[in-house]
Amino acid sequence: MNSLATIENGLQAAILVDASASDLLAGAAQRSARGLDVYRAAYRARLTAALRDNFPVLLRALGDDAFAALASAYIDAHPSRQRSIRWFGDSLVDDLSRTSEPLPHPALVDLARMDWAMRAAFDAADAPCLTRHELIALAPEEWPNRRYRLVPSLQMVDLEWRVEPVWHALNNDPGVATEAPQRLAHTLLVWRRKLDCLWRSADNREGAALRALADGATFAECCSLLAEDGDAAAVHSVVAVLGQWLDEGLLARD
Amino acid sequence: MSEAIAGFGLGLRTDHYGDFIAARQPVDWLEIISENYMVAGGKPLHFVEQIRRDYPMVMHGVSLSIGSLDALDPAYLGQLKALVERLEPAWVSDHLCWTGVAGVNLHDLLPLPYTAEALRHLTARVDQVQEFLRRRLVLENVSSYVSFTADEMSEWEFIGQLVARTDCQLLLDINNVYVSSINHGFDARTFIDAIPPAAVRQIHLAGHETHPDILIDTHDQPVCQAVWDLYAYALRRIGAVPTMIERDDNIPPLALLIGELACARELAERSLGQRELAR
Repeated sequence: MNSLATIENGLQAAILVDASASDLLAGAAQRSARGLDVYRAAYRARLTAALRDNFPVLLRALGDDAFAALASAYIDAHPSRQRSIRWFGDSLVDDLSRTSEPLPHPALVDLARMDWAMRAAFDAADAPCLTRHELIALAPEEWPNRRYRLVPSLQMVDLEWRVEPVWHALNNDPGVATEAPQRLAHTLLVWRRKLDCLWRSADNREGAALRALADGATFAECCSLLAEDGDAAAVHSVVAVLGQWLDEGLLARD
Repeated sequence: MSEAIAGFGLGLRTDHYGDFIAARQPVDWLEIISENYMVAGGKPLHFVEQIRRDYPMVMHGVSLSIGSLDALDPAYLGQLKALVERLEPAWVSDHLCWTGVAGVNLHDLLPLPYTAEALRHLTARVDQVQEFLRRRLVLENVSSYVSFTADEMSEWEFIGQLVARTDCQLLLDINNVYVSSINHGFDARTFIDAIPPAAVRQIHLAGHETHPDILIDTHDQPVCQAVWDLYAYALRRIGAVPTMIERDDNIPPLALLIGELACARELAERSLGQRELAR
């Protein structure tokens, strides 16, 4: 008699890689094969649907057929190890960036990066935002060594292409005609303010400053990253950037 | 905050958040999919907590994988318990199935062989989960499309023995009984007759897809007449049990589901009336 281990491993292999399970399954061969096909089809349909949910703009950019082919290859290469299907697709960006088969446009990888970051912001942890009012009380001598915490939803995503206009256009209208993006290395900021997922483009300098804050840098260290050539005007620009971060809700209350 | 659950409920779906927040709906209670809210923050938790203030709730999971040979996932159980503490549901259910083995998750409700070995395995696991959650677990019978040469007993005997060994409770899915009865060629009433009535904590009703050679549990259509008939039969045998309609795809406006739920209410009133008359 087949053990539970034989049955679970055997049925799983039959679903994942079309291995034969005829020695496990009861009933007429045609009947059990039909039943097995239901599980096989449901498995692929469910994971494909998860990828469509997680990469909605990549789907629109590629079209249904090309996305289905991409999804199918991904499902074959990465059987889900996620407890929740909500996270299925976590290696898709890496796969796309390493693929030996040329994509229709290399900027599609950045579209996928933006999709994944937006999805991650959606249900990231909540945190109250730091306000300008709370910083007013800070004594002048406390400013240089002040450290800041970023809101948990904030992600600094390195992009090679300026894909945001394409992402924005396709997100609003699946059928819209878009122009090919320009190559521009920069940082995409994605975060959630209250319930709304937000994004904006930033230069790499600002991205590096935010990453430094996330790693525990002081305000003074952050200033040195933001300030260009250490000139006096830089202090004003740093204060302006800090004000923008506060207004946008990028910094969390301690 | 955990109230007694009675009457007729619906599965809470994102499409209907606005309806439940805008006005009180004629729904006695709501069931949520646990995993949809086992997240760090954002809209899911915001809305479910808001709706929870107005409706009794139960939690229904799809990822416990109680029948898998893989060890129970402590991180998953911890998140589940945290959500239980946050929402205080009347009970917590999942499925009598496994979802994958060797670290893989097929994200499906896969059938177990009905063997003494599987029963021993499940008994220990149900005990472990009940101890961890400090409450009785409610387990749902699943639809199945294959059965195993290793089977030593029927599904209903297997379920009855599990209840006797663990004191778990049952979420009787009438549609799943019907789908499996057609797919495997047994009399659905035999299943209903054999289930220990006192263990049935909740009933699910749902729609399925009909193919010439197989029925598939899709939850994307209204409840069919054969499932209504089986529901009436189950009520006459088991008595009044909190009942809800599950719709997971092709989700209609809330008013349509509430109309379908009214059919369940009427049928229950008629069926339980007959039961009283029979006495």
